[in-house]
Amino acid sequence: MKDSVYTLCYAGVLGTVCALLLTAAARFTEPYQDANAEAEKNHNILNVLQVPYPPKSSSQQLVKIFKENVRLEQLGELKIYRYVPPKDSDSSETVAVDFEGPGLWGPVKGFLALGQDMRTIVGITFYEQEETPGLGGEIVSSWFREQFVGKSIIDEAGNPGIIISKSDGSAPNKVDAISGATMTCDKVQAMLNEAIKSIVEEKQ
Amino acid sequence: MADKQLACMTCQPKGLCGGRGLLTLKEGTWANNPLAIQVLGICSALAVTNRLENSLVMGGALIFVCVGSNLLVSLLRKRTPHRIRMIAEVAIIATFVILFDQFLRAFYWDMSKQLGPYVGLIITNCIVMGRAEAFALRNPPILSIVDGVANGLGYAVILAIIGLFRELLGTGEIFGYKVLSGQWYTPNQLMILAPGAFFALGILIGIFNAVKGPEPGEKK
Repeated sequence: MKDSVYTLCYAGVLGTVCALLLTAAARFTEPYQDANAEAEKNHNILNVLQVPYPPKSSSQQLVKIFKENVRLEQLGELKIYRYVPPKDSDSSETVAVDFEGPGLWGPVKGFLALGQDMRTIVGITFYEQEETPGLGGEIVSSWFREQFVGKSIIDEAGNPGIIISKSDGSAPNKVDAISGATMTCDKVQAMLNEAIKSIVEEKQ
Repeated sequence: MADKQLACMTCQPKGLCGGRGLLTLKEGTWANNPLAIQVLGICSALAVTNRLENSLVMGGALIFVCVGSNLLVSLLRKRTPHRIRMIAEVAIIATFVILFDQFLRAFYWDMSKQLGPYVGLIITNCIVMGRAEAFALRNPPILSIVDGVANGLGYAVILAIIGLFRELLGTGEIFGYKVLSGQWYTPNQLMILAPGAFFALGILIGIFNAVKGPEPGEKK
C-alpha cells in the first residue's frame, strides 16, 4: 500500500515537472515560432506575386512590405491576394490564390499566382509540406516551381486544368513531374486543379 | 554491480571514475557503437541521412537527448519505483525531445521543416531508451553523461558519414554546394532514395566490423 502511494506520488511529480518544463518552453518559443510562420507566409506571397523587395529583409521588414503592397480581396467564394505595383514601376499587376490538399505524408499548402488575365501562371510556391525529403519534397525546389511560369491554367481546347507528368510532348498546361515522386505529383496536380476550377468558375 | 565501486566521489587518481569514463566513451563510440555494432536506431539513420546538414542536426539532437535523459534517469535512479521505471524514462526522454523540437522550430525553422516528424520520433529511438535502461539506471550521473555523449557521438558520426556519401553521390553536392560537376558526374538518384540508405548503412556496418575485428570469444 505504501509502495503504491509512493509510486503514484512519484508519477504525479515527474509528470507535473515535465509538463511545466514543456509549457515554459512552448511559451518562451511561441512568439518566435509564430513570427517564423507569419514571415514565411508573407515571404511566400511576396515571392509568388513577384513583389520586389530587398534581398536581405528581416521578418519585420517583410511584413511591412507585405502590408504596403498586397491587398486581400474577395472574388465570389475565392480569397485572392492582389499586388498593385506603384504607377512608376514597370512590373504588372498579379493575383495569388491559395490552395491546399492532402500530400503523401501530410497536408500540402501553397499559393498560385496568375497574371492580370487570370489565365497565365506567374509563379507557384509551397509553404507547408511534409513530403519525402529529396523526392516529393523537391516540389519546393526552384527547378520544379519555375516550370510553371508562363504556363496556362487552361489547355488548348479551353478546359481548365494543369498536368504534371513525365517529360514527353508539350502542351501549354503541362509541366514535368519529379521522378521518384509520382504520388506527390499526382496529389499536387489534383489540388491545383481544384483551385484552378474555382478560379475559372469565378472568372466566368 | 555495487555502486560503491563506481561512485565518482571516491575516484581513483587517474581519469574519470578510475578510468571508467574513458572506457565508457570507447564503448559507446567504438566497441559497442549503437548503430554499427548494436544496429539500433536505424530507422532515423535511414530516413534523414539524404543530406549532410540534416544528419548533423539529427546527430546533435540525439546527443542532447541522450545526455539529458541519461543524467536525469541516473539522478533519479534510487528514487524511481522499479515498476514504473520505463514509463518514467519515456516521460523524461519525451520531454527532452520536445524541448529540442520546440527550439528547432523557433530558431532553425528551415531545418525543422526539413526533418519534419523525425525529430519527434527520437522519443521512440531504441538507443536513448536502451542507454537509460541499461546504463543510467545503474551508474552515477557523471558516468551516465559520458555514456550519453559517447553513444550520441557514435550515432552522430555514423549518420554524418552516411549523410556525406548520400548527398555527394545522390546530388553531387555537400552542404548544398556543388562539388562533383554536372559535366562528368551524373547524380545517382538511388542514393537519395531509401535503397541508397540501406546500401550505405550496410556497407558502412560491414567496413566498421571488418576494421574492428571479431568480438573476443566470437568464432570467425
